[in-house]
Amino acid sequence: MRGSRALATVALVALAVVPWVAARHQLSLLTDLLIYGLFALSLDLIMGYTGMVSFGHAAYFGLGAYASALVLIHFGQPVPVALGAGALLAGAVALPVGWFSTRATGIYFAMLTLAFAQLLYTVAYKWRDLTGGSDGIAGVPKTTLFWGGPSLASPQAFYALVAVCVVLSLLLCRALVRSPFGHALEAIRENERRFTSLGRDPRPFKLVVFVIAAVFAGLAGALFAPFRGFASPEVMFWVFSGQGLMMVLMGGIGTLVGPILGAMVFILIQEVLSSYTEHWMIFTGFVFVLMVIFLPDGLVGTARRLRMRA
Amino acid sequence: MANLGEQLLNALTLAGLLFLVSAGLSLVFGILRVVNFAHGVFYMLGAYLGYTTVTLTGWFWPALLIVPPVVGALGAFLESSTLRFIYRRPPIYQLLLTFGLALILEEALRILYGPTAKGIDPPAYLQGAISLGSLLYPRYRLFVVVLSLVVAVGVWVFLRKTRAGLVIRAVAQNSEMADCLGADVARVRTLVFGAACALAGLGGVAAAPMTTAYLGMGIGVIVDAFVVVVIGGLGSMGGSIAGSLIVGAAQTWGAFYLPETAMVIMYAVMGAILIFRPWGLFGEEE
Repeated sequence: MRGSRALATVALVALAVVPWVAARHQLSLLTDLLIYGLFALSLDLIMGYTGMVSFGHAAYFGLGAYASALVLIHFGQPVPVALGAGALLAGAVALPVGWFSTRATGIYFAMLTLAFAQLLYTVAYKWRDLTGGSDGIAGVPKTTLFWGGPSLASPQAFYALVAVCVVLSLLLCRALVRSPFGHALEAIRENERRFTSLGRDPRPFKLVVFVIAAVFAGLAGALFAPFRGFASPEVMFWVFSGQGLMMVLMGGIGTLVGPILGAMVFILIQEVLSSYTEHWMIFTGFVFVLMVIFLPDGLVGTARRLRMRA
Repeated sequence: MANLGEQLLNALTLAGLLFLVSAGLSLVFGILRVVNFAHGVFYMLGAYLGYTTVTLTGWFWPALLIVPPVVGALGAFLESSTLRFIYRRPPIYQLLLTFGLALILEEALRILYGPTAKGIDPPAYLQGAISLGSLLYPRYRLFVVVLSLVVAVGVWVFLRKTRAGLVIRAVAQNSEMADCLGADVARVRTLVFGAACALAGLGGVAAAPMTTAYLGMGIGVIVDAFVVVVIGGLGSMGGSIAGSLIVGAAQTWGAFYLPETAMVIMYAVMGAILIFRPWGLFGEEE
């Protein structure tokens, strides 16, 4: 455990030092990676800790992005207000969706969440007046930190905001999975029938964690919209949900830190490959097949196992 | 009246194509306990290979005969070279593996055929329309309805009346017990996976003259096929038929009366059914 504390310190110091040493585009790439990391982290709460594989998690990222974009464009509020709106909308929509979806388990749960996500995607696509249809909403401004406060328009300032959000979210999620509630979730993952026979109803637990995961995904989306300056239906598309699952798997299911790293590695691989070939998806596919067969525990999971053995 | 008849036939055509895809998806789930995300890509592969065969031979029928076995063989090869090693893992890994296979195949087709859609002409005597009472209807669409009916009956007879079908149903019911009784479970899985891919390939060839072969058709059909099997129940042939008819009808009438919300209607129907039967109309509780 001492080793991981040292690693965490190194990571925090690195995050804090980067804005002073990195070039502009590197800093912007890192901001991007952290936002995807937060998305993967939120997915790990339900996928890794509760064993509920959602194939529609991108919907909540997208809802967060749209809510944030609308608040920033139409009301010009500070960014944290937009973040709150994004997280709130994602959570509010996740409540009824979760209520339906948690009635089913396993593969049916995956397909239900996919179907609801496609439904939300269709709404975003068709509701042209509000969402701009397939064009999405462009020109989302990076406003201020608070009313009359400092501007977040510089890459360093926005990076700092994203980094703080991701670190805080990680700490919150860690506290959550280590709480009695988190242990209940793991009990459901390990043996739902046994959990039921011990006299507890698993559904409220699943619903609550589903909503919490959606809130964090919404936060990630709400950061995404001002950072990229737009929100479009693509971020709600099912391909993005699938990529989220890939990120979690790549980093290590049920490790929290792993999915953040997994998201970074995944997006970096895509960036590097897409600079060499337009057909990078074929390599992503191969990486994926090989990861699933040979490294099912992901990067962090495998590293932990190797250290246990040493 | 003619309008209603036409829409009914449109719904049946769509249901026929959906059945060819979802039957394999359902069969694979029944035997392998795997939800094959790449299944739609095999449908797309069928359409593209159909285009190639028609271009090379100048005829449509060879495509219908040659392409499904080729797609099936590729499917069987992929099952035995990747999926076979991870059956013992939780279902998420198999879903993710097939997601990776789908990316590879989709991108390979993009490289081979380029981004433009490829059209095929139906055979000469299936071109044009036929008059059914007061209604003129495209001959080829009727052919698709008949083809999917023949396949549905064929699959049913094979599963219910042959020894191979019996073994397959035994493996679906309890693979460990079937293994103990001497069934070669690994071989059954490979063959069923291949056969399911061949069905999807057949669907692709049949669809190509109507929809052309285009990138993204696999993704489109797999989401619809998921809805079909969720409505009908995974692993059930009857469910696959019922689900295809329901989705075919919802999409056809939805697109006609409420074009903006056709997709929403399909999901609303699914949601309504799942509230009362979370495992689908014909599915069994896990």
